[in-house]
Amino acid sequence: MKQISVLILILAVAMMMTVYEGRSIAEDETVGGGEIIYSKPVKSVLFSHKSHAAMGLDCNACHEKIFQMEALSAQNKADFNMKGLYDKKYCGSCHAKDGMAFASDTQCARCHIGTKGFNKAPKQVKK
Amino acid sequence: MITKKINIEGMKRENPDIIPSLERRDFLKLGLLITGVFAGGSILSATSIVGKAFASTREFTEQYPYKPHYSMVVHQDRCIDCELCMTACVKTNNVPTYGYRTQILERVDRKAVERTREFIPVLCNQCNNPPCVVGCPTKATYKNSKTGIVTMESKKCIGCKTCMAACPYNARYFNEETRAVDKCDFCFNSRLSKGEKLTACAEVCPAKARIFGDLSDSGSEVFRTVHNLEKTVWVLRPEAGAKPNVFYTKG
Amino acid sequence: MAEDVTKTADAAVLTGWRAGTAGVLQSLQGTRGYYAALIISGLLLLAAVAAGVHAQYVGTMHAYGASREVPWGILISTYVFFVVTSTGLCLVSSIGHVFGVKDFMPIAKRAIFLSIMTIVAGFFVIAFEIENPFRMAIYNVISPNFTSNIWWMGTLYGAYMFFMAVEFTFLVINKPRIATIIGFMGVVAGIAAHSNLGAVFGMLHGREFWYGPYMPIYFIASAMMSGAATIIFFTWLAYKVNGQKMDALMKKALQVTTKVGILLISVILFFTAWKFITGFVGGEAKTAALEMLLTGSYAFNFWGLEVAAGMVIPLALFILSRGQNLKMIVTASALMIFGIFFMRYDLVIVGQLVPVYYEMGVNEYSQLLSYTPSAHEILIVLGGMGFVGLTFLLGEKVFGGHKSEIH
Repeated sequence: MKQISVLILILAVAMMMTVYEGRSIAEDETVGGGEIIYSKPVKSVLFSHKSHAAMGLDCNACHEKIFQMEALSAQNKADFNMKGLYDKKYCGSCHAKDGMAFASDTQCARCHIGTKGFNKAPKQVKK
Repeated sequence: MITKKINIEGMKRENPDIIPSLERRDFLKLGLLITGVFAGGSILSATSIVGKAFASTREFTEQYPYKPHYSMVVHQDRCIDCELCMTACVKTNNVPTYGYRTQILERVDRKAVERTREFIPVLCNQCNNPPCVVGCPTKATYKNSKTGIVTMESKKCIGCKTCMAACPYNARYFNEETRAVDKCDFCFNSRLSKGEKLTACAEVCPAKARIFGDLSDSGSEVFRTVHNLEKTVWVLRPEAGAKPNVFYTKG
Repeated sequence: MAEDVTKTADAAVLTGWRAGTAGVLQSLQGTRGYYAALIISGLLLLAAVAAGVHAQYVGTMHAYGASREVPWGILISTYVFFVVTSTGLCLVSSIGHVFGVKDFMPIAKRAIFLSIMTIVAGFFVIAFEIENPFRMAIYNVISPNFTSNIWWMGTLYGAYMFFMAVEFTFLVINKPRIATIIGFMGVVAGIAAHSNLGAVFGMLHGREFWYGPYMPIYFIASAMMSGAATIIFFTWLAYKVNGQKMDALMKKALQVTTKVGILLISVILFFTAWKFITGFVGGEAKTAALEMLLTGSYAFNFWGLEVAAGMVIPLALFILSRGQNLKMIVTASALMIFGIFFMRYDLVIVGQLVPVYYEMGVNEYSQLLSYTPSAHEILIVLGGMGFVGLTFLLGEKVFGGHKSEIH
């Protein structure tokens, strides 16, 4: 009797772990690219894949028409600035007046986490 | 002075332990004259000799004794903490690495709706009733009578650091090279006196968060922002009574 | 006469060493103990000068614990401690000497001497704190700022020191009447200077812990409390150093000084209680500072050192002693001097540990600041005490125990 209950216990734990593994993959922070911190042209701007994905956006919503797959490639472009955003490029595709999300000339520090945010961020998400 | 001459030799006294009440009364009469000595330090300190009372955000008087009356308006919602202003300030004014003349503060309110973070640039407010100028024993810091900028005369600074303790805005630091306290002077020595119109920080800010100008010019942007009843304009720590010349707003 | 004293002293030294702690004190009666104390004081003074000069050389911002946000450290609080003590000694001596209350006469001369030595000790300490003391000598004179409490305090303390020195000289050359007039001028200058020192803190509207009319008033009352404690302790110590017994008049003088002590401790306890009670309806910055003292990182300093050692235990001892039990009175005085040193320290430091932007709720200034005195600063503080010790010991011998016709 004792050995059977131990066996059932082990099986249950193994099943839970498998299920947990599966769930954790779906909610993993690095899914879809994780947190991206741009440091050019100013330090620094945060883009969170997690919060955008949570709103129901899938990869095709932005890749590759608005942003390339390669992280931080946009900050090497000359038009990656506020003027570009006001011209509905990059983030400005949605973050525009009468757009899908708050206009890019409002709530500046919501995305601009600044030099302080840059210094606090872990090394791998920024350049 | 003492109205009655004290004739020490002629005094009839055997016991040196007792000072006659007559003499004591004479000494007490001195008290009326001497009260001035007590009051002198404190009363002179309490009435500011630096400009008459004016210009906090609520009380607008039309007296601006300075020409130009340099002032800055900070749009707190535009600052993105790129810190280009701090870099420009250091480069323009030879600020040492251990000090700073301007700083960006970060406030986070996790319960805030939508945006939860803001950046607040702070610098010397060039106050109209500056506690540093009132307290400096040698007038090493003084309010420039033409421009209103609170200026340092480094050679007179004795390093007592009363101005650093007095400043409600942590605007001052001790510079070891000049052996004097240093602070923002609105780039007067480095730029304004040489014909430039803007401070280094105001010029380099990419978000136009710092608007610098002449408050005595009714056409200037600073004037039109501060004297606009539609806008909410405030100063930092108004309870300190320093009557700052740096204003904050949003929008 | 001198040989008798020396013979008794040597015997006392031997007994003292066998007796332990009490013996250490007893050994001060002997010439050996006297010279030991003299040498230690001198060494402390030399160490302080070395530390101070070295600090100027490497830069005071590196050698001292002060910083941009906490510009005033233990050197400032020690300066305050010494000048408060000096003013207090002047006031206590003036009760007898200037205002003619006979019972206070015996302590007057020593009190005046010590008031000079403590103010010089204060200047000694602050000379190392100010970055450019030589500029001060010039520009305080040619570019004075009459709205500056610091300027008034410096100038008036200079005048005060001059008056006290002149008064003492006239007492030594036995011209008590002129000494009394000069003494009165010293009292006036002292009170003016001292209340301006209080106002240095009290008129800083940006520092909520200090701001208000309380500081100048509190400083004067606190000075008298310090002065009473200091003169009791040093009078007792002097009689040990000189190896003499106190006569009835001196004992009476200590008794009445104890009464002054009781009164002033009660006044200061009252002041302190109301400062805290009224402070709690102030802003967050003020409340944060008060809480630091009541329950925070300075709670031991406040309750243990300031309140218990500095005021409550001495008060109890003073009352129980009825002004007659010398051991109790002297213990109380010693505790008071010790506790009052920390009273000044807490006042100066805690007033700065709440950042000026505390109420803005920003990340950079939401925490309380901290300050630790550096080795350099501590050495200079000890040097100031060494100076007082040195001049006190020498003064007892040079001026023959400060006896005068008045006593």
